[in-house]
Amino acid sequence: MEEQHILHGDAELMNGLSALCAAPGVKLGDASKPEPAQVAAEHHSVDAFGNAYHWYRLVEPGALVPAAHLLKDKGARLCMISPYNVRHMGEMQPEVCYHFELGGVVYNLTAVLDPKRPAVPSITPVFDNADWHEREMMELFKISVEQHPNPRRLFLDEKLDAGILNQAVPLSVMMNGACTTDLWERILAGKGDKA
Amino acid sequence: MSAQTFSMPLGPVHVALEEPVYFHLDVDGETIRHVSLTSGHVHRGMEAMATQRNLIQNTTLTERVCSLCSNSHSFTYSMAVENVLGIEIPVRARYLRVLAEEIKRVASHLFNTAIQAHVIGFKSLFMHVMEVREMMQDVKETVYGNRMNLASNCIGGVKCDVSPELLTYIRQQVEKMRPAVAEIRDIYATNSMVLGRTKGIGLLPHDDAVRLGVVGPVARGSGIAHDVRKDSPYAAYMDMDFNVPVYDGCCIHSRTMVRLDEVMESFGIIEQCCTRMPDGPVTAPMRQIHVAEACARSEAPRGEVFYYIRTNGTDMPERLKWRVPSYMNWEALSVMMRDCAVADVALITNSIDPCVSCTER
Repeated sequence: MEEQHILHGDAELMNGLSALCAAPGVKLGDASKPEPAQVAAEHHSVDAFGNAYHWYRLVEPGALVPAAHLLKDKGARLCMISPYNVRHMGEMQPEVCYHFELGGVVYNLTAVLDPKRPAVPSITPVFDNADWHEREMMELFKISVEQHPNPRRLFLDEKLDAGILNQAVPLSVMMNGACTTDLWERILAGKGDKA
Repeated sequence: MSAQTFSMPLGPVHVALEEPVYFHLDVDGETIRHVSLTSGHVHRGMEAMATQRNLIQNTTLTERVCSLCSNSHSFTYSMAVENVLGIEIPVRARYLRVLAEEIKRVASHLFNTAIQAHVIGFKSLFMHVMEVREMMQDVKETVYGNRMNLASNCIGGVKCDVSPELLTYIRQQVEKMRPAVAEIRDIYATNSMVLGRTKGIGLLPHDDAVRLGVVGPVARGSGIAHDVRKDSPYAAYMDMDFNVPVYDGCCIHSRTMVRLDEVMESFGIIEQCCTRMPDGPVTAPMRQIHVAEACARSEAPRGEVFYYIRTNGTDMPERLKWRVPSYMNWEALSVMMRDCAVADVALITNSIDPCVSCTER
């Protein structure tokens, strides 16, 4: 029998965020690329101490702004923004996870970006403390943050190219070339370039 | 910029602590009108390094993000891994984690308080606070074998148990420290020289504190009652009786009093850990690693630490990202320093208990 869990969190906020997520079964990102695993548009988890975490995959990066306003109106606090690549070889698949906290509950919003032109709207006009996070994601992942009020470098010198962390390939990905598709994608992409 | 205002560089070394940050101050006579800062001098690329190490090696790496809150990093990282793998740690390990965390909190807060006396020029108070703090350094060295990085946490629990004899020793040290810290607190609360340099200076109004999302004693000194240990209890904090000190003076003095009150609360938590800790195992076994993501947060001495991890089915994380408390507090300096004297810059900087190597990773 499936275990029943009580979802902790603000019901109105959760409904509002759900409305900004992809409908079940809709594939996010580049539909022509194979996904390593089907990811649910929304799921909820609880840690060993009973603290709740809610996870939402937004239908498109533009949904971030209404989501940020929803969270701001409820009094939520931005904790962190985590940019990352789902695919590290061949063509990148960038995603950004935004972590908010309200009443001890963590709300995570994931935006799936266009690999050819990774961009998100800035939420600094809504949450002032998004400023550093967004500047860091510009310099480390070369993600364009549109309408950012102060888009200068945060830590790295201007002489360094943006997107330095896109070049870092996790050792696990390198070492598993024989049993995953990443390495073959890269080789095939290279062949495509020559043609 | 008028004839009376000019731009003044300050830093990048030794603004308050021996860590580099570079302030650009626009000053009008001796009064600061605008502040901006440049950092990045100690950027180590640790997030990239984390993807080149396995989950166990990263416990060691994350403990080296920061010195004073080193334990909070390995603690929160371990919780993130346990969340992503679905590991539930034994009850004794929960208590041992809290014990180490509070020992570090006492040492960290007393260090910051001592530096404040040093910046003021109150050398005897500085020496006295450091001398009292030394008792907690002795605890760290005796119990964990190290004065800074305790290497206590591991994925699934803690590396070493603490014997009943050592728990008695910890309680004896706390008994010795309690009256000494109460006396120190009294000096910071009443001494006219300390109050003259800290009370009503470096103001961060409540609304600005909320707007900037500051955390830790900086938030609690501006009337925001945020503390992860209370808001979403983890480890054994749900079993502990303690208060969250909150002051609404919004100044350097309020932040100092929050820290000194928290030291007294930490003594209580340490004693509760020593007396209530149940017997039992201190580690849980590792579980299979799947494709998953999770986050975890904790209350470090400087405020909330947040970790996010993505695993890809191997023993090395696909992504490990963390945000330290100082990262959220730096921007508050531009509010705190506005209309203050240049001579107060070091004191105000110290009042956020900044950690540059933490911030830049």
